[in-house]
Amino acid sequence: MRKDVVYEANRSFNPVFRQKKSIFKVIKTVFLITFSFCMIYPLYWLFISAFKSTDEFFQFPYALPSEWTFDNFVRAWNLADLGGAMINSTVVTVVGTIFTVFLGALTAYVLSRFSFKWKGFIMLFFLLGMLIPIHSTLVPLFSIMNEIGMLNTYWALILPYTAFELPIAIFLITAYMSSIPKEMEEAAVIDGAGYWGIFFRIMLPMTVPAMATVAILAFLRYWNEYIFALVFINDASLKTLPLSLSIFSDGYSTDYSLTMAAMAIAVIPTVIMYVFFQEQIMKGMVAGSVKG
Amino acid sequence: MRNNNLFLFLMVLISIWLTACNSDQAENTASTEESAEATVTIWHNFAGDDLRARTVRDLIDQFDEENPNISVESEAIPVDGYRQRISTVAAAQELPDVFFTYAGSFTDQFYDGGLIQPITPLMEEHSDWADSFLPTGLEAYEYGDNGDIYSAPVGMSSTSYLFYNKQLFEANGVEVPETWDQFLDVIHTFNDQDITPIAIGNQAPWVAQSTTFGAIADRVTGTEWFMKAVEQDGASFTDPVFIEALGYFKQLVDADAYQEGANSIDNTQAEQYFAQGKAAMMINGSWTVSSLAASASEDVIENIGVTVVPSIEDGEGRANTITGGPGGGFVLNSEAEGNVKEAGLELIYALSNEEAQKAIAESDSMVMYDVDIDRENVSPLYYEAFNLVRSVEFAPVYDLYLSAAAGEAINNGLQEIMLGGELETVAEKVQQAQVQSLEEE
Amino acid sequence: MQDILKAKHWIIISLLPALLLYTFIVIVPIFWSSYYGFFKWSGMNEPSFIGWANYLEVVNDPIFWRALKNNMIIVVASVFGQVPIALLLALMLRQTTLFQRFVRSAVFLPTVISTVVVGLIWGYIYNPEFGIVNALLEMIGLESWTRAWLSDPDVNMYAVSIPIIWNYIGPYLIIFIAAIQNIPTEIEDAAKMDGANGFRKLFYITLPMMWTTIKVAVVLCISGSLKAFDQVFVMTGGGPAQSTELLATYMYNNTFMTYRYGYGSAVSTMIIIVSLILILISQILMKRKEEKGMGI
Repeated sequence: MRKDVVYEANRSFNPVFRQKKSIFKVIKTVFLITFSFCMIYPLYWLFISAFKSTDEFFQFPYALPSEWTFDNFVRAWNLADLGGAMINSTVVTVVGTIFTVFLGALTAYVLSRFSFKWKGFIMLFFLLGMLIPIHSTLVPLFSIMNEIGMLNTYWALILPYTAFELPIAIFLITAYMSSIPKEMEEAAVIDGAGYWGIFFRIMLPMTVPAMATVAILAFLRYWNEYIFALVFINDASLKTLPLSLSIFSDGYSTDYSLTMAAMAIAVIPTVIMYVFFQEQIMKGMVAGSVKG
Repeated sequence: MRNNNLFLFLMVLISIWLTACNSDQAENTASTEESAEATVTIWHNFAGDDLRARTVRDLIDQFDEENPNISVESEAIPVDGYRQRISTVAAAQELPDVFFTYAGSFTDQFYDGGLIQPITPLMEEHSDWADSFLPTGLEAYEYGDNGDIYSAPVGMSSTSYLFYNKQLFEANGVEVPETWDQFLDVIHTFNDQDITPIAIGNQAPWVAQSTTFGAIADRVTGTEWFMKAVEQDGASFTDPVFIEALGYFKQLVDADAYQEGANSIDNTQAEQYFAQGKAAMMINGSWTVSSLAASASEDVIENIGVTVVPSIEDGEGRANTITGGPGGGFVLNSEAEGNVKEAGLELIYALSNEEAQKAIAESDSMVMYDVDIDRENVSPLYYEAFNLVRSVEFAPVYDLYLSAAAGEAINNGLQEIMLGGELETVAEKVQQAQVQSLEEE
Repeated sequence: MQDILKAKHWIIISLLPALLLYTFIVIVPIFWSSYYGFFKWSGMNEPSFIGWANYLEVVNDPIFWRALKNNMIIVVASVFGQVPIALLLALMLRQTTLFQRFVRSAVFLPTVISTVVVGLIWGYIYNPEFGIVNALLEMIGLESWTRAWLSDPDVNMYAVSIPIIWNYIGPYLIIFIAAIQNIPTEIEDAAKMDGANGFRKLFYITLPMMWTTIKVAVVLCISGSLKAFDQVFVMTGGGPAQSTELLATYMYNNTFMTYRYGYGSAVSTMIIIVSLILILISQILMKRKEEKGMGI
């Protein structure tokens, strides 16, 4: 049973308190509903716009489409080769996210559980990476990848994505791990588990919510990343989604109805992914309250 | 000690990995060379679904098919990212054999960096073809003391047509303006009727400069003055005549000619605003013709008229001109040699010869080449604009001649004027930027 | 003795993959780029060494300072907008009811959407003729307040900050939710036994327990805000007349639009330096607060 509920039940003897509480609850609910509306509206707008003709899009930007046809979606899908792009994006994003979460967790484990001479320096070193404006690394990075012959492969995206997301992953997971009590590991040490054992059997399972958070952020960033995908990939068969979404603009004008349809298609996997990982974060929460 | 060993180990690992990758690459190139005499890589920005993009892609495919000994590796890059992609790759010295470039400062950079080579052999081989480009068509791509030509334009950027809504003009009993005074009168009339006189989408700030200011300025200063000012040879952007030109633009702003918030909507939004009849006029380039032909209904298009920007009686320049010049063209990498160079030249010719120019012209987009088009193959508005541009003279497009920095300065300066900025300050900034760029060359 | 050696070994082995990848892909390019900052280079011609000239020009360019000021507006708006709103929501959304799940997902949705769409929809919201903001103002009789929100240099920087805040509340929300649920239930229970409730519990238990995460969130917020690019690029492109220019758009324009690669590199080095300084300041400020909190 939820502990809040128990708690509330104890208090409900006092009618004044109860009344106050319910007013507060109404205000909170109204606030949350309004807030949600403001947050959902753009996605709703994206989807209704995706059904409109260009003419209608500009004439009635807020209205529902006069006709619900999937023409835009079908045309956008075919013209931009969204199917192929979706496969490439999936490969790059999934592999990149796994790398990020694993390396992030491993590094965070060391940084949160061991004390050694260079620790402060390493933290600062990783901090630096969060501050870099990505455009300025393009030319050097291009040269490096060209030198080692990595351009035009999935690795040309997976490795930079992972490397640039690592600092955030490390900081988030480290913050999370350092607030986990050490008793459980100590027990494991007594049982004779090695560091890998502790990491895989104890730390990883306990850090799922933080890793899920990192996974969501990484997934989103990789899925929508444009600049590296633009510069490091030549081969049309390796192109990722963001490039396909931008072909409906010829520099002077943009075909908004096709752009909207393509974007609506591209956004669906991210929503699904978010719902999935959110459950992972919340699972910990449910488990916690059961314990209580 | 331990650390040293580890370091060594890593170095070995990395070098093994590198050699593995490199040998892969070597094999790849070897295998392609066997199957074809020459492989040409070409990058362009005809990535979209508009008529012109499809036409150019078809031309490339056609060339690939008709030349079994040449294999073409073509890559289409979205327009929005093209400049950035090419710049990055150029900085790393990894440009493809043939690539698309924009006339003006973009091509200047390649020339200055020695990254491209002349296509003069083509000009000598096909002299009829070379002579059929419209005036200034090839000059924009002429560099060096020998007058070598580096590219042949596959498009024209004619940037200042005055589009008007016929019904709105009729309903309000006004004539299409031919002089500046008439223009201001018309603007007043529409404002009185609560109709936006002129639509503009100046969020990307080149729009006001390219479509409107260039035409006004040429009428006021004359072409000769502008060319001198560009070279900083006896004329300067702080001259009173340039301030006067800026002043004419300011008159439009002060007369409330533009819709509110013009600096925060994009060109497509402005075009649609005009097409929906919410604005009576729009000064815009030939691209508008292509995009309206693709998106607007027939009724809408029939209701749109097209003419030139009104004349300015007190000005030094010609009336009846349209700002325009060559659009982009294909250039040849300076490192292309032997078979690849031959094949590259062939490809450039195939994409810009008479046949190609006609195909592009009939995809509702202007070319810099003397070509006749079939009326039934194109949209009526395009046909009208096509004939209009052939009947008038060209005035220079500002950002085609100004340095990139001075171009930015005038673009931002016009936005400043739209926000109430001082004309003199704007002129001063343009002058400074141009002088600085000339010094750096 | 052997344990220490073993630990040392383990530390090296497990840090190495991340460190190597990160060094070669992130750190090397950034120093390389700072080095370009000492050259006059269009990105295409022969670079020529000019010492500190680019860096001096950056410091003397008023547009750079305007961009920095604009960035600071975004930093302040994000740190004092995103973080508290996300924290408040995280505290309110701790149940697993369907309604709360729905709200949590809703808050995250703006993050999922492409910034192009974000720019477009907010462009409509702010549109002077048929935008929602002006319509609302007219409805409540504040017609004199209506304006072209994105074009008017007096207000447009604030106008673009709102979509940026709105866009990224979601990530902070999930970060905070994960942190809250990491607070051991025993501690909360103990607090309840002691009769701590509401605000007392919040200030003495929940917030201190989350403090490391909040600090990380603030760092993320500052670094993210100083790199802000997409929304502004789509909504205003840094204009009109550079009134919404940000450090990142300023760098981008110099590097890719006016072909001053060396100068652009110098700007990006300055961005890193400014970010480092701001983050250090924020950490020092938050450290004091933490100690005070502990002291009481």
